[in-house]
Amino acid sequence: MEYTNSAHKPSFWEKFSVERIKVELLRTAYGQSMTFLSRFDPRIMIAWYSFFAIVPWFIHNKAVLLGLLLAVAVLTYSSKPSVLVLIVLAIGLISDAAYMLIVSLMFGGGLAAAWALSTLTLKLLVITLASIAVFSSMDPERLSDGLLSIGAPAQFSFGVAYGFRMLPILIEEYNNILYSYRLRGKSPDKKGFLGWRMLVYSFKLSVVAFYPLILNTAKRTRTTVEALEIKGFTYAMHDPKVKKLKLSYLKIRRRDIVFLALSALYIAAVFYVGSFFDA
Amino acid sequence: MTSSVQAEHNQSIIIDVQDVSFRYPGAESNSLSEVNLQIKRGDFVAIIGSNGSGKSTLCKCLNGLIPTYYTGDFAGKVVVNGVDTSQASIAELSKHVAYVFQDFENQLVRPTVFDELAFAPLNFGYEDYKERALQALHMLDMAELKQRWIWQLSGGQKHMTALAAAMALDPEIIIVDEPVAQLDPAHAKLIYDKLALLNERHGKTIIVIEHHTEFIADYCKSVVLLDRGGKVRWTRPTQQALSSVAELTELHIQPPQVTQAFAALHADSRSGNGLYPVTIEQAVEQLQPLLAHRGHRPMSEQHQDHDERHTAHLPYQDNGAQLTAHASCLDHDERHQARPLHPSTNESAQRDNQSRAGREPLVHVEAATSGYQSIERNMSPTLKGIDLAIYPGERVALIGNNGAGKSTLLRLIAGIRKPWSGAVTVCGQDTRKVTPEQLSDVVSFIFQNPEEMFIADHIRADIEFFLKARKQSNTEPFIEHILQTFHLTELQQRDGRLLSGGQQRRATLAIGMAMKPTIMLLDEPTASLDIVSRREMTQLFDELQDHVQAIIVATHDMQLVADWATRVIVMHEGTIIMDTTSADVFQHPQLLDKAALVPPQIVQLSHALKLPSAALSVNQFVEQFRDKEEQDGIYQLSAQA
Amino acid sequence: MSLSPLRNRLELTSQQKLMIFILSMSLYGISNMITELLPEFRVGPVELKVEYFIFIPLIFAILFNSLYAAIGASVGEMIFGELLLGQFGGISELEKFIQFSLAVFVAGMLVRDPRNKRQLAVAAYVAIGIDQLLGTIVDIAKVYIGIEDLEAVPGLPQSILAIEGFSFLNAMVVSGTLFALLPTLYLVPRLYGKVEPLLGMKPRDGRAASSIKDFVTPRFIILAIVLAFVAAAAEFLAESDNAFFSWEWEADFGSGAFWISLAISIIVFIAAIAVIRARKKQKPKGESLS
Repeated sequence: MEYTNSAHKPSFWEKFSVERIKVELLRTAYGQSMTFLSRFDPRIMIAWYSFFAIVPWFIHNKAVLLGLLLAVAVLTYSSKPSVLVLIVLAIGLISDAAYMLIVSLMFGGGLAAAWALSTLTLKLLVITLASIAVFSSMDPERLSDGLLSIGAPAQFSFGVAYGFRMLPILIEEYNNILYSYRLRGKSPDKKGFLGWRMLVYSFKLSVVAFYPLILNTAKRTRTTVEALEIKGFTYAMHDPKVKKLKLSYLKIRRRDIVFLALSALYIAAVFYVGSFFDA
Repeated sequence: MTSSVQAEHNQSIIIDVQDVSFRYPGAESNSLSEVNLQIKRGDFVAIIGSNGSGKSTLCKCLNGLIPTYYTGDFAGKVVVNGVDTSQASIAELSKHVAYVFQDFENQLVRPTVFDELAFAPLNFGYEDYKERALQALHMLDMAELKQRWIWQLSGGQKHMTALAAAMALDPEIIIVDEPVAQLDPAHAKLIYDKLALLNERHGKTIIVIEHHTEFIADYCKSVVLLDRGGKVRWTRPTQQALSSVAELTELHIQPPQVTQAFAALHADSRSGNGLYPVTIEQAVEQLQPLLAHRGHRPMSEQHQDHDERHTAHLPYQDNGAQLTAHASCLDHDERHQARPLHPSTNESAQRDNQSRAGREPLVHVEAATSGYQSIERNMSPTLKGIDLAIYPGERVALIGNNGAGKSTLLRLIAGIRKPWSGAVTVCGQDTRKVTPEQLSDVVSFIFQNPEEMFIADHIRADIEFFLKARKQSNTEPFIEHILQTFHLTELQQRDGRLLSGGQQRRATLAIGMAMKPTIMLLDEPTASLDIVSRREMTQLFDELQDHVQAIIVATHDMQLVADWATRVIVMHEGTIIMDTTSADVFQHPQLLDKAALVPPQIVQLSHALKLPSAALSVNQFVEQFRDKEEQDGIYQLSAQA
Repeated sequence: MSLSPLRNRLELTSQQKLMIFILSMSLYGISNMITELLPEFRVGPVELKVEYFIFIPLIFAILFNSLYAAIGASVGEMIFGELLLGQFGGISELEKFIQFSLAVFVAGMLVRDPRNKRQLAVAAYVAIGIDQLLGTIVDIAKVYIGIEDLEAVPGLPQSILAIEGFSFLNAMVVSGTLFALLPTLYLVPRLYGKVEPLLGMKPRDGRAASSIKDFVTPRFIILAIVLAFVAAAAEFLAESDNAFFSWEWEADFGSGAFWISLAISIIVFIAAIAVIRARKKQKPKGESLS
């Protein structure tokens, strides 16, 4: 859990730091400033996203896909996603395409395979960027309320709130349990080839540490459910009135409509222009 | 703060428990047997009784968890604010009864304070749920916490949030299960102040389950004593209840130290109606004429003078630092006037250096800085350039408020945190160069939460874990010895999580001992323990001393400091502000106040009485008082009141 | 909320189901977050990474109620692993949800006696098998849909199959053994009879819960899935071979097979839940969680 500065090289265990996760969590949840997309109603954003998540699969026109990509790329940029997320995405997409290309060469593929794969990569890029643009800038609670309003069960939205509540506590506890094992256990004397003994030791610890964690969490959960009973949650779960009350702050405003209309116009334009480049 | 017992007339009965018996499913005996109890509207009641007397069970009958949620053999009738609990749902009853669990952290289910407060009213479908939440926020004067994340709150703030969340439904009755057990004394006092506020300003009926009679004396109006097996022995007004010293002691309930002292000093010091003082104020009130008689200046004058003296000498004291009205601040013997900080530490350091000359320190912390990364990814140090040496034979208490850096320091010594700069050397090993596993051959670290230490199937396996991991053979007799020392032989096959608080602490001590450490580190070892278990822990610490070269304890428990420690280190905001002995530390009320620490009641009382040196226990107090009596002539305690 | 006496795993109160849901959600969620942080070794298509701690929901599915453990875990992954980290993936979360819930649910239902090591081992591999299998199908389907006339592109269909097939086997062997089999065998017997009292429940009685219906249904489900997959794969091969030689433009009939296999698995999943729910219809309470 301990943060270490550059003065000494952080070990594997130190990189896994409670504080780091807490920091990340807070930054994700409330750290982001207002972005362009986070202003809109979550339901509108979910609908908007659904279009970009489904339609590209059925478009084989590269010009159209590029047009869509341009739009989502600009919006992604406006939502200031973390660099890390983008790097992970880039590595994933490129390496996946590369493997397929290399393996297809073994089966006699060539330029045609590369061309076809580039279309696929383009589609995946549009879809993934759309999800980053929309969801990385949306407050998780608003998102869960949005999902609630389109029919997700109350448990889900409860889970999101509960996740925020419990995450730091659970990580801290897991971390302390790991230390309990380490402070009473013994790490391997020899590291082994490529440190495999250490690897096995770390793996074993990370799994067995769940044993006390499961028991502790079970004990905790019992009180929590009693409290939920007292707070009326188990009744409210099925009460449409409560849901309405909870979601009453969600309102579709004029700017939501304008945004949808502009998006539709843009997409129509892209399709129209794309029809000239039917590749 | 004092809630004098007011004879309020025309009080209606708000809780009526009639012939209630209850047995948990599968239990062998009743947890409650034919309980009859009436509580008046607007009362502030403490429920006391030894472990297993059914205190929590009784309270769960009041909020309907029994018999609706817990099935079992239930008989009798409970009427709460006009509602028969067997006829209403639990949710319905929570409009009448607020309940704060003993493990209140687990009853908080939402991410932020305001969200938590609005949750129940929202679930009940109240249109004005936000207003209700705000109202609860204001009722408890905690508006500044509104947008805070629950997990960032201190224990006391979480407790307050749990209370406020229950208050959002505006119930008439508030039940709080052992607030002091889970909180440090300063926070516990805060919670009680809030309860008093709700009681006095808003007319709420308050019920607390409480072991700590000093809080009962300060806040409660009446006391219900439960006997083993869940029977009500009596209900009495607070002073009368707590003056029953013999009866309470027999049931392992410790009356306030003031009351004990008076009882021990003079049986005839009882005032006409057979009562002892139960608060420091009452004790001082009885003794003040006596002190005045001895030619001392009036107290109020001394107080002011005292105040100036401290601010003048202590440069680190914030301007306008408030003195609380503790009796400890009322008076100070000239001999004990607080010395300026630096001379004090230097003095003691010199003294210590002489006695330690030629000895190697076990732990050597040199200019160590460490801390956490803040939300803005800045480094925020919790320890700022600490220098410290711990020598063999020392019993060190680390005290200070939350966030002072006590836990960080312990973790540095245990090697599970490395200093950003500076160095920590433990038994000659630089902690940056060894793994925690290697360091654990000489250091054992007992976590604050025992449940995080139960990693094996049962506590015997937990105790053996260290030796087995090192493949030591023939450990059987040693393990048996440990089990015996810590009274765990009977419990060895049980899972630690299913033990009582005191048993859990004993088990963690045993785990630490079985590592045959040179140095033992304990983080809040007496937190959430009742008084009997606390005393037992202090005795076990003496046991440890024979096997371990040095013990370092981070604690809020001033009684432990008084009873056990030989060296006390006061920390504040990542630095050491005092390093002294336990007898001396209580001579610095400002310093303690700054670190949000409350000295034991008996220390406060001996300050008020100008005893030659602060008594650290009731027995010491009694001895000193008698000595003084002989010197100064006879104190006619019985002449008072 | 009245309680009826509860003695085996299909008769839990709604509060107890909520407990299992929360337990599974928080713990699997947290493990998901941890695995996101652990390092990953990737040598070509051979991945050696901490895949996922599938044993956690599996334990709850075995010891308590399969359905709530499965759904709780999927929700936990979605919330802790994605949403709270700002990595919510939209529709792809839905497919993960279905795959994973189905896998854990079916595997949990297979175990009749938590003390029987053989049943535990089978459950472990079944869980990871179903999850990986459905994932593989979806992946292939995606490429198939995403690339126009896949069969027309030389080398691609085979390479996709090879890569997906390899990663499936890899996951089965490596993840199946390390993250499903070993932890399940180690943890279930230790937790059985010990975690239940902490939740205020009685341990499930191994024999009481087992009737013919209890295990025929899951077996049937597995069989159905395997058959669906085999059928789909066969058709895929046939199509791609055909395309490989003919270079025809309009030969995209094969995508139908993948839609069908996906549809089948979804239908099977829904049917499985329907069966469970129907069986519980005798008990009017306790439907609150789904």
